[in-house]
Amino acid sequence: MSLWRLEWLRLVRTKRWIALVAVYLFFGFLGPLTARYLSEILSLAGADLEGATITLPPPEPIDGLAQFSSNAAQVGLLVGVVVAAAALAIDAKPEMGIFLRTRVTDVWTLLWPRYVTNAGAIAASFMIGALTAWYESVVLIGALSAAGVFTGIAYGMLYLMFVVAVVAAAAGRARSVLGTILISILVLVLIPIVGIVDAVGEWLPSHLVSALTAIPDGAAATEYLKAAGVTVIATAGALWLAVRWATNREL
Amino acid sequence: MIQTHGLVKRYGATTALDGVDLRVPAGSVYGLVGPNGAGKTTLLGILAGLRTQSAGSLQIGVDRSQIAVLPDTPQFDSWLTGREVVDLARVLTDESVPSDRVDEVLAVAGLADDAHRRVGGFSRGMLQRLGVAATVVAQPRLLILDEPSAALDPLGRREVLDLVSRLRGEATVLFSSHILGDVQEVCDTVGILRRGELLYQGSIDELLVGTATPSYVVRIRPPVQPAVEALKSKEWVTGIETTSADELLISVSSVEDAERHLTEALAGLGMRVVSFGPTAATLEDVYLELTS
Repeated sequence: MSLWRLEWLRLVRTKRWIALVAVYLFFGFLGPLTARYLSEILSLAGADLEGATITLPPPEPIDGLAQFSSNAAQVGLLVGVVVAAAALAIDAKPEMGIFLRTRVTDVWTLLWPRYVTNAGAIAASFMIGALTAWYESVVLIGALSAAGVFTGIAYGMLYLMFVVAVVAAAAGRARSVLGTILISILVLVLIPIVGIVDAVGEWLPSHLVSALTAIPDGAAATEYLKAAGVTVIATAGALWLAVRWATNREL
Repeated sequence: MIQTHGLVKRYGATTALDGVDLRVPAGSVYGLVGPNGAGKTTLLGILAGLRTQSAGSLQIGVDRSQIAVLPDTPQFDSWLTGREVVDLARVLTDESVPSDRVDEVLAVAGLADDAHRRVGGFSRGMLQRLGVAATVVAQPRLLILDEPSAALDPLGRREVLDLVSRLRGEATVLFSSHILGDVQEVCDTVGILRRGELLYQGSIDELLVGTATPSYVVRIRPPVQPAVEALKSKEWVTGIETTSADELLISVSSVEDAERHLTEALAGLGMRVVSFGPTAATLEDVYLELTS
């Protein structure tokens, strides 16, 4: 029983992997479907519109991915944060923290498998959802550039790696799972607010969220390199903080 | 095995440990006793590397990897089986320990039949025994056990004490408890901590003989009152209590005084002595005397 197997079992036996895959897969199916049939859905509600007429432009293939991306960035992210917090808050139950901490030489040994496994699971779920949304968009609406979609997915996965690192750092401060979730969400909400300033926004990790929609729609992949670079550095910084704070914590 | 020098731990204005000089001999089973809030868990936390002292120093005669710690209420991921918990402890501590050892310690802990059950369904006593199994699996040289028998039913307590007893000679054990009977039964060395200060440490035998006020139970033919009146005036008698119509509990200033003068005094009074003997002090007597 290694720490890697422990994390794998945590995902499998607690069935958290099902929650992750299900939420991304659900939005992967739902996004293109609503984009394709939005006019029909609205026309079904026509009787309630008191004579008003809503005219929508014909759906574009990118609309399916946009719907998925929007939901994935909100509900999917929230589920991911909860799953990651439950694994990364190693001292949420101090007796369990004592059991593990007194058997390893440093906290990094405990955190690294938890980070990699959970970040990997969340990123993989996002990829499954995005590929589903892409496939369905192509089938229902029209073709989308495969290279653009794959690049967008890669940037989205990088952002999720950053998100899990933020959760790890929050766990170093908060100790409890709930506290970890709240701090993480606060940080993840504040970053896009700062990003409202255009000059700053394109440097921030949250900028990567739009890559899945923008790149297949014609934006250059290089537009996201600055944000990707900052994200890599911020991820490393968050993990460093996570180890430092968890090491300094007394049980 | 363990030596601390002037160990101090402060939490803001509160001093949890105040200059503790702990000496835990190698191979001993050391009982750290004290009331709630005495600083036992803080001291064990510092020794286990889970807390940092505010001042003072400590020396531990083994590498950190050879220290195993058992918290007072061990908890494990509820979706792991008992065997997986102990195997995880084995791998994290010393992967070279053969995996057969996991089954061996589970059997010693009385959990062989439950090894493949998830620990979420374990009772409090089973979790405690599982914790002991996970603590000893890699054969550490120093075990730090925080209240290992607290909050267990009598049967669970007995099982855990037996497990600790079996460790004698195999490792050094530092065992905190506020159940003095457990410490007296299992430990050979004791430290009494109160409000962060170590009031006594040494062998339990020395503590019981050297610290407790010596006293004798004397049974004489009634009436006992003349003996009470006569003995009260003796300078080596520190207290006298009539415990029944024919029995006295006589406290004396020293064992030597009692042995030299008590029989002589009773004979001088013409008392008919039925029986005479020293009372056996318990750790509880000494503890109450030291901490009150």
